[in-house]
Amino acid sequence: MQRVIGAVLILTATAGAGYMYGRDLKEYLRKMIYLRYVFGLIRGEISYTSAPLPEIFFSIGEKIREPYGLWLKMTARELEDREESGFTRAWNRCADRYLRGLGLKYEHMILIKEPGTFLGSLQKDTLDHTLQLYLNRMDLEIEKLRDGLAAKVRVGSCLGVMSGIFLIVILL
Amino acid sequence: MERRERKSQILNILAKSVRRIIQDEIPDFEGVQEIRLRTGQPVRVVMTDRERILPGEQKPHIMTKEEMRETMEYISHYSLYAYENELRQGFLTVEGGHRVGVAGKVIMEKEKVKNIQYISSVNIRVSHEVIGCADELLPYITKNRQVCHTLIISPPCCGKTTLIRDLIRQISDGNKYVKGCTVGVVDERSELGGCYLGIAQNHLGGRTDILDCCPKAEGMIMLIRSMAPQVIAVDEIGTSEDIHAIEYAMQCGCKLIASVHGLDMNEAKNRPVLGELIRRRMFERYVVLGNGSHPGEIRGIYDERGSVLCRG
Repeated sequence: MQRVIGAVLILTATAGAGYMYGRDLKEYLRKMIYLRYVFGLIRGEISYTSAPLPEIFFSIGEKIREPYGLWLKMTARELEDREESGFTRAWNRCADRYLRGLGLKYEHMILIKEPGTFLGSLQKDTLDHTLQLYLNRMDLEIEKLRDGLAAKVRVGSCLGVMSGIFLIVILL
Repeated sequence: MERRERKSQILNILAKSVRRIIQDEIPDFEGVQEIRLRTGQPVRVVMTDRERILPGEQKPHIMTKEEMRETMEYISHYSLYAYENELRQGFLTVEGGHRVGVAGKVIMEKEKVKNIQYISSVNIRVSHEVIGCADELLPYITKNRQVCHTLIISPPCCGKTTLIRDLIRQISDGNKYVKGCTVGVVDERSELGGCYLGIAQNHLGGRTDILDCCPKAEGMIMLIRSMAPQVIAVDEIGTSEDIHAIEYAMQCGCKLIASVHGLDMNEAKNRPVLGELIRRRMFERYVVLGNGSHPGEIRGIYDERGSVLCRG
């Protein structure tokens, strides 16, 4: 009886780990999609209101969920404080500090920091065009993540169950 | 506006190194009119009575390209795109209503100025609100506690904006010469109200509605249609569209207070469209300013026929 209970527990644990892996992958994709939505909002506000960046960040920060809202509001505050010389530095520092919890991959963190190099320093038409190109690149990254997602989730679940069975066989 | 507040507003838009020098050298901001920054040149501060090179004539601080870039970032809140329209006109207004003039390489498009790039000169003009500077003028430009159509003629830097600002405040709030009435202000360059994020930084009275950053001709018509002002005030009229809009506003029953660049009545009369308005006696009062002993000095007040009412 004890062996059966042990086998069931092992199988549940490994299958659960496989499921969690799949869920993390889906969650990661959702984070990237939300970040794309945030940048879409920034682009829209710039082209419609032409307001300065701190104002835009603050008003969007009020509307979106955390930690993205806090990230934008704190960036706005840093810019208003004018203690950091250069927009890029302030943008990068805030991204590092407030988006760390999202657990983004290195290449995606670089992608998020990229607007720091052009936001605010370009003319309106050029900025709008550059932001559109940037959004296209984000779409591409999201597509890449989405492409392999179903297969990865399936593999994760199967591997979880298989590894559980494997362990049971070894231990029995 | 308190002097301390004004000082912090100005210091906030300067590069950190320049900020430190000005903080050390000019602890009291009294008398500061302009701060002139030019790449590769010393930092100059124009005071009421003299010009100073900072920190000293012997060892001046030379403005670097980096400091100029940093200053422009602070002035534009890291968002130059947001000030394209203002930059096209060569200036922008910052918190407190202070006006920042810029010069650099001009980008042209279809024979019109599109933008200014490589900004190499910045002139920060400190906004001065002089409460009560229109006291002397008010009795001459009112009749039966009603404002007359008034044109203020003045050369640049003679205090016409300061004067018109105080006139708006007094007309809006009312006093013994004029009954308080609704005033519509078309503030194309944000100089009168000094609006920052839509809020007027200068005191323009309790019955004043401001159309900020709006072209004068369009703004006057918008105000008449939407806010029904009894008095409309505009600064520095110039184009024929402005003059036509003024005529339209006068015919709509609004009283007009406007200012124009010029030395005297004759110069204003010789302007192509404005001159026609003067000859038709559309304005009831003309105020000519000079810069003899102090800015805002009244050289003469005339009625619609050009007869002298008062000579300064």
